[in-house]
Amino acid sequence: MRKIALIIIVFLFAGLLVDCKKKKTTEEEELEISFDKSGMLANYSDNVIAPNFQLAKQALDSFALAYNDFIQNKTVSNLVVARQKFSRAYHQYQLISIYEFGPSENEIIRASFDTYPTDTVQILSNINTGSYNLALASNIDAKGLPALDYLLYGKNISDASVVTLFDTDVNAANRIAYFNACLSEMQTKLNSVINAWNSGYKNSFNSNTGSEIGSSLGLLVNQLNYEVDLMKNAKIGIPLGKKSLGVQLPEKCEAYYANTISISLTKTCLATIENVYLGRSITGADGLGLDDYLDALDAQHNSGSLNNAIKNQFAVAKFKLALVNEPLSNAVINDMATVDAAYVEMVKLLVLLKTDMPSAMGIVITYQDGDGD
Amino acid sequence: MIKSIKSYFLKPVHLAPLAVFRMAFGVLMLASVIRFMAKGWVYDMYIRPKLFFPYYGFEWIKPLEGNTMYIVFAVMALAALFIALGLFFRVSAITFFLLFTYVELIDKTNYLNHYYFISIASLLLIFLPAHRYFSLDVLRNKNLFATHTPNYFILTIKFQVFVVYFFAGLAKVNADWLLHAQPLKIWLPAHSEMPIIGQLLTKEWVAYFFSWFGCIYDLAIPFLLFTPRFVKPAYFFVIVFHLATSLLFNIGMFPYIMITLTTIFFTEKFHIQIIEKIRSIFSKNNLDETQLFFTPKKNAFNLFIIFFVFHFTIQLLMPFRYLLYDGNLFWTEQGYRFSWRVMLMEKAGTAFFYVREKNTGKEIEVSNCDYLTPMQEKMMATQPDMLINYAHFLKQEFKQKGIVKDPEVVVESYVTLNGKASRLIVDKSIDLSLEEDNLKSKKWIIPNDK
Repeated sequence: MRKIALIIIVFLFAGLLVDCKKKKTTEEEELEISFDKSGMLANYSDNVIAPNFQLAKQALDSFALAYNDFIQNKTVSNLVVARQKFSRAYHQYQLISIYEFGPSENEIIRASFDTYPTDTVQILSNINTGSYNLALASNIDAKGLPALDYLLYGKNISDASVVTLFDTDVNAANRIAYFNACLSEMQTKLNSVINAWNSGYKNSFNSNTGSEIGSSLGLLVNQLNYEVDLMKNAKIGIPLGKKSLGVQLPEKCEAYYANTISISLTKTCLATIENVYLGRSITGADGLGLDDYLDALDAQHNSGSLNNAIKNQFAVAKFKLALVNEPLSNAVINDMATVDAAYVEMVKLLVLLKTDMPSAMGIVITYQDGDGD
Repeated sequence: MIKSIKSYFLKPVHLAPLAVFRMAFGVLMLASVIRFMAKGWVYDMYIRPKLFFPYYGFEWIKPLEGNTMYIVFAVMALAALFIALGLFFRVSAITFFLLFTYVELIDKTNYLNHYYFISIASLLLIFLPAHRYFSLDVLRNKNLFATHTPNYFILTIKFQVFVVYFFAGLAKVNADWLLHAQPLKIWLPAHSEMPIIGQLLTKEWVAYFFSWFGCIYDLAIPFLLFTPRFVKPAYFFVIVFHLATSLLFNIGMFPYIMITLTTIFFTEKFHIQIIEKIRSIFSKNNLDETQLFFTPKKNAFNLFIIFFVFHFTIQLLMPFRYLLYDGNLFWTEQGYRFSWRVMLMEKAGTAFFYVREKNTGKEIEVSNCDYLTPMQEKMMATQPDMLINYAHFLKQEFKQKGIVKDPEVVVESYVTLNGKASRLIVDKSIDLSLEEDNLKSKKWIIPNDK
């Protein structure tokens, strides 16, 4: 027994020595990954996450002001201004929906802000009865931005008719109250998230530098992928009929009632995902991000670097998406091939971000805890 | 030669090591089961899922309804406690083995080598006279008492530990592990933030060092443990190795189980001392034991020998069954499980399933999260036999709900292995719902070298 053990050890150590010698002659410099992980997290929290939350908050608050102006003075021109501010708020929401962990997860931001298609029957019933609790799960698809989209535009009615619904309609007061409730719920939630980031969460985010499940990097990468998945499916795939045997479902578009900004929202979403990947701030300054981390890890993809493959795929996806014309509800029916081309590139992007990137980083894509072996 | 082997197997040895093993195993299992329940995994793994991925040949094994699964785990915990106490030992060991193995067989998503090890260890325990010394059973029935048994009982455990280490080491003898330091080259730098050693983990030579050390350790340690002179230094490495893995990887109780159970290789004296320490807590009197040799009756002995030979033959053959299959073992995972291939690869995938109407060719892209837990989705994407199971489920589901009349199921699953670019693992022209999950070579797996 002892002899066998000795032979194996000697054999293996000899192998190791040979291997080392070979390495020294073939590779001049010793590879070493030096990467400032906590610097990357600080860049995210200071330069990417916090300013974007501020943008989202400002847009929502300024929409609230414009809406109040409209309620004070119910004219079509004031409605138009309120709609413009609404569109802005909807776009700026795309900047923050990706961060559904920590404070955002506690406030259930994604589901509260942007569950669509909205349930118009439930909305009208809530308005009729005048009694509702928006916190209930049953109201999840009767609130948030999609509900306001419906209330601000209505379905196939003139601008003047929309004004009437807020003005002289029997339920006008109830409608205004419901609108206020939805709007202020979002404002409250957003303020809570911003406060939580400022009072403590930022520190715990910055200092949680590991790569395991629940680490800041793990959370960021997981939610980034969730966002890509959501973009691919909810924004494009479902209206395009990917889940319904090719039968297009235009009424499932995001911002369906505004019907002019669905593609634009998707573009903002895709750009946000890219900015997060790059660690790019709202000023365009490119700080330490996932791209730099991949390069530091020397992650490869076929003949090039994984980072380049991902950056190229972002470029291709953006290019294909740019070829789709508003409104999306029309494009999915009359210009299916163009939308499908954008969809295909989003799928490729998802594979790179969900499979290759986390694997290269040693991050587990799962929202579930468990042992390995 | 034969005589010396025979006397090696039959020589009387003290029962203390086996008694300590029994107690350690019981306590560790009790802790593991409680931990498992406390983490909410009973719900996550056995109540929440809408479908389960059965093992080939064990499709009839199903989880119990809803919260009844908690009872299974509670009884398992109780059985573990009874094993530790040596109370109703044989019944407890059988109960633990059956319940634990039952739970593991429900869903291969949750397969871990260390669960397999526990199944086997509890199976072996059933046949061992581990309750004949320092147990409550002895207090109940003085006739059970013995101080010595033939060596082969303890050797059973030792051989099993040997098999685990040796095959784990043998599995590491491959080009990715030794020549490319994969997947450690990926896993170690992920811990660059660790105090003191963090920066070291980012260096390439460290990944090579760990790979080679791990391989040599696994291959050498079983031999060293069997050599009385080397047990102490070997055990030092056991501790270092398993603590390192515990620090770096998310592997739960396994390192502590191995650190504790390998003490079986220590001397009788060591184990007698442990037992004396425990005894002194309960009783001030020093027990003066007369030696009593327990040896099984002829029939029991024959039965044991048959079991012993059968068990270890299977143990020695199982890890080699992959040779019967085509393709790269890590890629196809045909013959991968039950072979002590531990922490060998970084594999991840994304699977897009499409349910297609046969006549029209129109298809639905499946939202996997509607049917699978995140863990199931992750495991399914990279394991061909799970892809089939899921395809069968989808066919049933879409047919039953009348969404698709005559469904075909195809998959696009992109898989990355040890840092190589992700690529399709299954031919998209194959209707997976028509493929059988069996032991034959799966021809529809696209080789990873083409």
